[in-house]
Order: sequence, then structure tokens, then C-alpha cells
Amino acid sequence: MNNIALGQYYPAKSVMHRLDPRIKVIGAIAYIVAAFLCRNVTAFAFLLLSCFVLILISRIPLRIVLKSVRALVFIMLFTAVLNVFWVTDATVEPLFAWRFIRIYERGIYQAVFILVRIVAMVIGTSLFLTYTTSPIALTDAIERLLKPLAKFHVPIHTFAMMLTIALRFIPTIVEETDKIMAAQKARGADFTTGSLTKRAKALIPVIVPLFASAFRRADELATAMECRCYHGGEGRTKLRVLRLGGRDVVALLLMGFFIAAIVLLNVFGSRYAWLFTM
Amino acid sequence: MKKKTKSIQPNRTDTAVGMNIVNQAEKPKIRLENINYVYGKNTPFEVHALDGVSLDIHRGLLTGIIGHTGSGKSTLVRLLNGLDRAEQGRVLLDGQDIWENPKEIGKIRFRVGLVMQYPEYQLFEETVWADIAFGPRNMGLMDDEVEARVREAAAFVGLDLALMEKSPFDLSGGQKRRVAIAGIMAMRPEVLVLDEPAAGLDPRGRHTIFQGIRDYNRKTGCTVIIVSHSMEDMAQYCDHVVVMAHARVFMAGTRDEVFARADELEAVGLDIPQVTKLCVLLHQAGLPIPVGLYTQETVENALLALFQEGKGGVRHE
Repeated sequence: MNNIALGQYYPAKSVMHRLDPRIKVIGAIAYIVAAFLCRNVTAFAFLLLSCFVLILISRIPLRIVLKSVRALVFIMLFTAVLNVFWVTDATVEPLFAWRFIRIYERGIYQAVFILVRIVAMVIGTSLFLTYTTSPIALTDAIERLLKPLAKFHVPIHTFAMMLTIALRFIPTIVEETDKIMAAQKARGADFTTGSLTKRAKALIPVIVPLFASAFRRADELATAMECRCYHGGEGRTKLRVLRLGGRDVVALLLMGFFIAAIVLLNVFGSRYAWLFTM
Repeated sequence: MKKKTKSIQPNRTDTAVGMNIVNQAEKPKIRLENINYVYGKNTPFEVHALDGVSLDIHRGLLTGIIGHTGSGKSTLVRLLNGLDRAEQGRVLLDGQDIWENPKEIGKIRFRVGLVMQYPEYQLFEETVWADIAFGPRNMGLMDDEVEARVREAAAFVGLDLALMEKSPFDLSGGQKRRVAIAGIMAMRPEVLVLDEPAAGLDPRGRHTIFQGIRDYNRKTGCTVIIVSHSMEDMAQYCDHVVVMAHARVFMAGTRDEVFARADELEAVGLDIPQVTKLCVLLHQAGLPIPVGLYTQETVENALLALFQEGKGGVRHE
């Protein structure tokens, strides 16, 4: 249960950890956009290179970063293999042909490109958001970035509070699940053997107490919040006020340069520039 | 293997200060050999929970394991029935490594019953009866055997039979706790381990629970281990006491031996029973009172004796 990498904040001292969380949210979006803009070999090579640079800047061990990629290996390989067989190119001879299977050079390139694109997106977003930003800072940033929507009567504060509470209680509930499972194992419950229905039934002794305690916690939290006169976001001030610093401006500029560089490489880079123009 | 264990036993006093084995001829029920346990290895959250812990738990006795929060008590408890496995060291039950056959670890869990902290949050069945019967049912026992065991366990913890058809969610906190403990007792484990069984209960609730556990120990002859941070409770109910500090065994022995060294316990920041503290203070003030007292009755008697003596003419200051 402890292997869940969800929201796995990794404390370290790096420029990336100190960046304003709003900038990091924008950075993650910019990185995804950049990954989608890439169209040729040079641009993709540049994207992959930027991944390594980001890992170095964030000072997070490669082992930890690869953990987040490993979770998606199956989806990535599936997409890649599908592309190898799917892509057709009427203008050239296929590299390989057997019955209805035709493999073209273009298909192989496209498969590799997609692989790189997914890897870069996963590494980029997890570096910007989960590994270097604590969940609380992240919700703060989201609340601030969505603030313009409050003009249209969208309950931004409530939404952010719900997000904060949900994130805050994920580790608690994981821990609780772990504890209850251990307790039922001590009473001879068996979660690993038997047919599917038997195993599903074996989960009842875990799910019932888990729900009971989740409701109990929600109740206690509501009481505690009410005792401290919580009444929503109106007139509420922040303990940590987000302020943009010099490094945030620099980071924003670098992101701009990065996207510009990708666009330029798309134009002036090596062949297969035609690949994604359709 | 068994022979070897036996022969080295008298020399094992080096593992813990002041350990005095009562029945040297008898093998310990549980023996821990040089256990190391680390949480979150190779991450920034790495914690050494147990650091070279060796320990004997004596057959048929009530042993108390005591220590600060974070001293490794709860980690130790999870190793005893194989919920966790130490990276280094062995846990021997009746001289046999519990991990000798990892597939059979389920059987070890029936032999070493574990009541975790706040066990009332694991209740799930529709009735109290069914919840207590969950463990025995998992053991594959016949219906009448299950029934006998549920009855017996309920009696030990002092549960009224009128409660048996109620939903466990309708009971009071103390009652829920007792149902959860009965659920483990009903499996009739050879070793019963309880992690903070009285945490968060009022004095009367604490007394009921400890009295029930002690009854169970005396009547069935099962080995019982209680983990707690309350010196008062340990002093009152345990035969043997193991003191944990900083992921190691700091002291182990009979409760007389351990509480005779109250000053050392205080030196590592552990609380000693209030009555013991009183005796130590009076002793320091020059009064002729023994320092190794730890139960309310003995201290009461000693103070009365002192008072009588004072009346006899000896005056202090």
C-alpha cells in the first residue's frame, strides 16, 4: 500500500522547489503544449534533452522519477506498437510486408515520437507538480489561478477547500486501510488466494470499517471547522501569500524561450517535418 | 537446533541489562534475535525503528513492553505475528523461525493473536456475536466450537450476553474495545499480544480491560504481551517488563528488577509510577523508605509504617 506514488512530494533543496506554485502549474501546462508542438527528430531530441535538464535542476533522484514513468509503461508500449502497424504511407514501399501487415519507415518514426512525447509529458508534469510542489501549495496555486472565474459566481474557494481536504486525507485513508487490513489479517482474513468472488467478499471486513471511519472523520472535521468559525472564503486572508519573485519571472521567460525554440526547430530541423502536418 | 538454543540460554543475559531468567530450564515462548527494521529505506523519510533488538518472552507470563512513542514498540509487535518481516534477525516461536515457511504465515497468525491499537475501528459485522466469531470461523472450526469460544471470550472481557445481538456500531467506546479484544481471544492463541489495549479509556475502563487480560493469562496459561506507555498499568499487572528506548531494548527483567532502577528509567526520560516517584523523593529527603516500590498497596503500607515510626519518637527536621 505504501508504494502509491500519488501526490508523492519529494523534499529537496532546488530552484524548482522554491518556484512559485502558480508558475509551476503554468510550467506543467507549457511543457505539455511543447510536447504536442514537436514535429521532427530535432524537436523531439530537444524535448528529451530538456527532460534530463529538468531532472538535474530539480535534484530528484532518477530512480524516483522513473517510478512515475514505470506506472504507464503498458499504455506507452501499447500506443507505440499500435502506431507501428497503423501508419500507412502510399508514396513509398513498406519496409516489411506479410499478408495484411505493412510496416513503413514513417510508422516506426511515429511510434518512437509518441513514446518520447508521453515520457516527456509524464516526467515534466510530475517534476513540476507532484515531486517539487506540496499538495497544499498546489491547491493554493489552483485557487489563485482560477480566481477570475469567481466573477461568474463559480465557488472557487469551496472547490479549492474540497481539493485541499481530499488531498490531505489520501495518506490518512491509505494508512487506515493498511491498518485495517493488517488487523483483519491478524484475525485470519485472506486477501490473496481464492476465486475472484471470494476475494471480493474478503474485502468486506476492510471496506465497512473504512467507510465508518471516513464518515466519522468527516463529521469530526466539520465540527472542528465550525468550532473555529469557518464560514467560507469571504474576507478570508492567507497564511502564506503567494508573491512572484525574480526567479519566477526568469522561469516564465525560459518557458517562453523553450516553446519558441521548439517551434523554430520544427521549421528548421531535420527531415520528417511533414509527419504531423496532416 | 533446539538443543543449541537451550544450551546458550544461561549466557544470554548480555542482551539486556539485568535480565534474570526465571525458569532457566524452560525455553522462552518467543525469542527475538538481533532484529533490525528500517522504514522507508533509501528515501529521505528513512527511520530506524528497531536496531539490533534481542529479547526473550517467557512462557505463560504476562510481559509488558514499555517505551516512549517512537521507541519501536508498535513495530516490534507487528513482527511477532508476521504482519511485517524484519530485514535482519529472526523471530522464534517455540524455537522455530516463524518465516521458515512463508506460505504458512497465516497459521502463525492464529498462534500469535494480535490486538492492534484502537481495535474498535476494525469491527464490521452486523452483530457483536458475528464479529467475535470472525476469527474462529476463519480457522475453519465447527459451529458449536465457535459458539463455545465466543461465549468464553465474551466472559473474559466482561461482555454482557444481552449485547451479543446488537450491532457493534451501537456500543460505547469501551464496549467496542472489549468486543475487539474478545475477537482475538476467541481464536485461543498461544500468545496474545495487545498494543495499547487501554489507550483513551477512563480509569474504570482501563481496570476492566487489564483485569480481563490478566484473568485470561492466569486461567488459560497463555503467554500475554501488553504494549503500553503507562508505567502505572505495567507496574500493576505485569510479571515481566521490557523497556524500549531509541529503537533498542533498554532494560528487561521481572517488574521488581526493573522498578528497582527507577532512577535509570527517569534518566532516559521515561515516566515512573507516581507512587514510586513519591518514595524516591521521600528517600532523598532522608526518610527511611525503600525506593523500589511501585504498587499503590505497598507504598501505602510503607507510608503507614513510616508514620507509626514517626509517632514512636523519631523526628525528622
